[in-house]
Amino acid sequence: MERLTERDEEDGAPQPVPPLLEVRDLTLRFGGVSALRGVGFEVARGELFAVIGPNGAGKTSILNCLNGVYRPQRGTITLSGQRLTGRSPAAIAAMGVARTFQNLGLFEQLTVIENLMLGRHHLMRTGMLSGMVWWGRAKREEVEHRAAVEEIIELLELEPHRHTLAGLLPYGVAKRVELGRALAMAPTLLLLDEPVAGMNVEETEDMARYLVEVRRELDLAMILVEHDMRLVMDLADRVLALDFGVPVATGTPARIQRDPRVVEAYLGGAV
Amino acid sequence: MAGRPRAHRNLVRGYEQDLRLFGSPLSRVGLAAMLVTLLVLPTVVQDDFWLSVLIYSGITAIGAIGLNLLTGYCGQISLGHAFFIGAGAYCAALVGGEAGLPLPVWLLASAVVGALLGGLIGPFALRLRGHYLAIVTLGLIFVGEHLWRNLRDVTGGNNGTSVLAQPEIGPVDLGALEVAGENYSRNQGWFWLVWVLVAVVALLAKNLVRTRPGRALRAVRDHDQAAEVIGVRAGRYKIGAFMVSSAVAAVAGALFGAYQQHVTPDEWTLLLSIQYIAIIIVGGLGTIFGSILGAVFVGALPALIDEYSDAIPGVSSSAGGDGVISVFALNQAIFGLLIVLFLVFEPRGLAGIWFRVKAYFKAWPFSY
Repeated sequence: MERLTERDEEDGAPQPVPPLLEVRDLTLRFGGVSALRGVGFEVARGELFAVIGPNGAGKTSILNCLNGVYRPQRGTITLSGQRLTGRSPAAIAAMGVARTFQNLGLFEQLTVIENLMLGRHHLMRTGMLSGMVWWGRAKREEVEHRAAVEEIIELLELEPHRHTLAGLLPYGVAKRVELGRALAMAPTLLLLDEPVAGMNVEETEDMARYLVEVRRELDLAMILVEHDMRLVMDLADRVLALDFGVPVATGTPARIQRDPRVVEAYLGGAV
Repeated sequence: MAGRPRAHRNLVRGYEQDLRLFGSPLSRVGLAAMLVTLLVLPTVVQDDFWLSVLIYSGITAIGAIGLNLLTGYCGQISLGHAFFIGAGAYCAALVGGEAGLPLPVWLLASAVVGALLGGLIGPFALRLRGHYLAIVTLGLIFVGEHLWRNLRDVTGGNNGTSVLAQPEIGPVDLGALEVAGENYSRNQGWFWLVWVLVAVVALLAKNLVRTRPGRALRAVRDHDQAAEVIGVRAGRYKIGAFMVSSAVAAVAGALFGAYQQHVTPDEWTLLLSIQYIAIIIVGGLGTIFGSILGAVFVGALPALIDEYSDAIPGVSSSAGGDGVISVFALNQAIFGLLIVLFLVFEPRGLAGIWFRVKAYFKAWPFSY
């Protein structure tokens, strides 16, 4: 653990501005099982931070703690100085944390447009009564936010699918719609849980291209949980390797790839 | 006739245009046809029996829209709909009958009472779902029955109470309408009143479900955890759905009471709730249009069976008459059968059939 903090200081470029996200000493237990033990890291504004580790290492648990689905027993998470731990998922979403799910969290009976508009939900104010009346706020907001959603449709090339029910989309497109819905939330921090899991090489390359595009167009930090090492090593600025809930190493992709402890966690020790 | 080439009339040029409810020329023709039917029908069909069947269907359609918002859009099964309908009827008796206030006042008062009662029950929905919520709302029927039978001052106990709420808006009395020297019957006036209200409630509900709150309701129905993660406060919408649904139910109850002029506690039983569930399943869960279709279909059925019971073999038209099954029992059996058949063969209901026909003609004459 001590060495880890040392390495952190060596690796990261000097940061005069405070980090966007600070995670300190995160510990999560389910009964007797520790999912996370003393995980800590920082993510800078605009950085793409990847979390890797074997199955069951606690990668998704980190994301679930970040957006309030799980409540860690110990540790703090702060986003631009505001504490996230203890808040509800909806409150955290409103603070600018968006998320995609490992096994698709789209609303299958809604169209692509409606799914994307739901991303804008926390930025809109129309309530039940003003919604019923339509003229006035509801109509104004629908038009305004539809324009914002159309920009995302263009960015992710979803034009042909606007009015398709999300449940009828091919897998690769559905993953892209989910990314779009997260982007529609205008987040400052985007959590991506295995965005290319189950995709073929072509779809993976497409998704990588969209992620690069998103980074160029929008000002947001990303935390990427992914098993596809080529994608991680190509895209990430820094990587955190986990093993059984314990942080093994943090650093640049090149450095992580060479780290003997990471190799051991993945391939097992010498027999 | 030189001029700029005109864009095709179906071309959408702005988001505002894309969001129109009646955007295409054909749908506008349909809207006009519906309005003309609404206006002309009571002057063509003057028969009191048929008009009253249509009036009851219209009142049922309003109640069904309410239940569909809760069950079809927000995914919460409620067996307590009859309770809120009853509450609306008694509210109309008090505000419209005893206090003698005009139509808009007793309708609004019922809606407010319904919303408040719904807001009391709503929090149960935060912890319960599916069958468990159904059981709790089932309890509501029996709590209601106890109240209706014992709050004699309001409900008249077992004998019921008369509802003297009048359909009056200012100087206009829809119960005895007189326009340009022409006198219209009570049923004709009530037909216009009820079906204009069906149109208004349907429009309000449609607007609700196509804007921010409606998307949130459906998101909660499909995947409530994912909804929370993108910033939809699921609990708030679950309670909100209960409030809107029971407000609409209470409006239907107020109209029912005022039209029938006398209501008893026997009216608001579990069977009424089940009838409403049958309506939204037959009509189509999660569609406003389906609620109306279902109400006309299922709502008119008991009246028709009642009217033609002599002609149906094996049905006893009067108590103690010869026959295998009473009219009442036959109705219940048919509701049950309809629910089963639609769930098995056409889960999207009558509205689903309609959408399929529409999709077919969109591509016509091509089959793809």
